Amino acid sequence: MTEETHNAPVEPNAVEGPLDLVRLSLDERIYVKLRGDRELHGKLHVLLLFPAYDGHLNMVLGDVEETITVVEINEETYEEVIRNITVLESQWNFTSEKNTSNEERR
Amino acid sequence: MQQPPQQERSPTEFLSNVIGRPVVVKLNSGVDYRGILSCLDGYMNIALEQTEEWVNGQLKNKYGDAFIRGNNVLYISADKTRKREPLNIQ
Repeated sequence: MTEETHNAPVEPNAVEGPLDLVRLSLDERIYVKLRGDRELHGKLHVLLLFPAYDGHLNMVLGDVEETITVVEINEETYEEVIRNITVLESQWNFTSEKNTSNEERR
Repeated sequence: MQQPPQQERSPTEFLSNVIGRPVVVKLNSGVDYRGILSCLDGYMNIALEQTEEWVNGQLKNKYGDAFIRGNNVLYISADKTRKREPLNIQ
């Protein structure tokens, strides 16, 4: 019925999409911010010429460090204590992650 | 049966006007990202430049380039408080 429903792209001939930013980050160390105050540092891989990410932002990272940030309350002083816990340190390829909330090129 | 008038201002038009300009992107978590809107797609995936991360009104982080996955986006707003940078995207 409506003709405009198919016109999803903002510019008709815009080759540039946000995912190009991810593509430009291939083979670089990236910072991925995840849900639940977790974050990853790792290198975005290229696997046999195929980029190691997809449109869902599933990604293959190498040399990953995962950090979880927790806020604890000191029972005596009632001060908030922010703790960063390193959960995962991989030396080799690892990790496919979804639910990225924010990703930054380093 | 109603034929709405052809509106000059559509969401798409707003977005194309705001590309290359300073924006505030609020996520569902309440965190604000302020930066120059490089581009976006139909999922509301967003690429920002000169990004600042604001949590509870406080600047928490700065990123050169940032990709925001569209599912997290609550809104995109033109940021009039920030000086416009001379950036030609296309």
